[in-house]
Amino acid sequence: MSTKVAIIASNGGLFDAYKVFNIATASAATDAEVAIFFTFEGLNLIHKQAHHQLPLPAGREQIAEGFKNANIPSIPELVAMAQELGVKIIACQMTMDVMNLKKEDFIDGIEVGGAVTFLDFAKDANVSLTF
Amino acid sequence: MSVIHANQTLDCKGLACPMPIVKTKKAMDQLEAGQVIEVQATDKGSLADIQSWAKNTGHQYLGTVEEGEVLKHYLRKSSPGEVKEERKHPDVVTNEVLLAKLAAGENVKILDVREQAENVFNRIPGAISIPLGELENRINELKPDDDIHVICRTGTRSDLACQLLTEKGFKNVTNVEPGMSGWTGPTENNH
Repeated sequence: MSTKVAIIASNGGLFDAYKVFNIATASAATDAEVAIFFTFEGLNLIHKQAHHQLPLPAGREQIAEGFKNANIPSIPELVAMAQELGVKIIACQMTMDVMNLKKEDFIDGIEVGGAVTFLDFAKDANVSLTF
Repeated sequence: MSVIHANQTLDCKGLACPMPIVKTKKAMDQLEAGQVIEVQATDKGSLADIQSWAKNTGHQYLGTVEEGEVLKHYLRKSSPGEVKEERKHPDVVTNEVLLAKLAAGENVKILDVREQAENVFNRIPGAISIPLGELENRINELKPDDDIHVICRTGTRSDLACQLLTEKGFKNVTNVEPGMSGWTGPTENNH
């Protein structure tokens, strides 16, 4: 049985996005089965427009240069790669209702589900992470 | 320093984590079992990552050569059944028996049938290197009457080599198990 990695993404900044998608793509590339549950501000990370321009923490804007110099892939690139490697992306229905967002507001290829959808995957995960 | 032969070279220079791993995975998916890939990376973290990746995916990490800023990682694609395949050659000894024969100064010829890229990083001193795929064409480099002990990483390729040699009339051929994966005796390398 392959390793199962269950991730909760609940924050919406650029740093958060890298933490989530780096671990997710690295795990998937190492033959793990990966699911990410995006909830509250984490939904930004897969929002069609928002995920192209995620904010850096206040006062740390100069780090954008660092990302560029280190040749770090962009978040949309990492998201596409994650999907290509079979990472399951689940958007939280409850948060979407609260924020009045529809499935069409998000990138293609996602699932929408509640807490139990994620728990069903996470219950026998080998690694659980929250960002 | 000798040239290491790889079936494919993958350029990951300038790429940051996790890209070298992601690209290695994709390239590895396209390779045949037993083939060797050279992954060139400048990400220093890739040295540890590639080894962990290999351990978790079951592929074989051979070693890394540093050339200036560039790390050249060598990996060999494993086949799922590699460690479980049935052995057929009847004459088998353990690593320890071979080690004892060497220590006793017996006239044993060691034939290492791993890929050259594996051999370069770690081999038994004095072993003859002929990769399994080249054995049939290079068989005249061996003498049919010699006491030949054949070794690879886990005993599978060496078993096939033993069968081939027996078929070709070699009388005194012994497979060594498990092979280099469990070898505790002296080794040498080119790096």
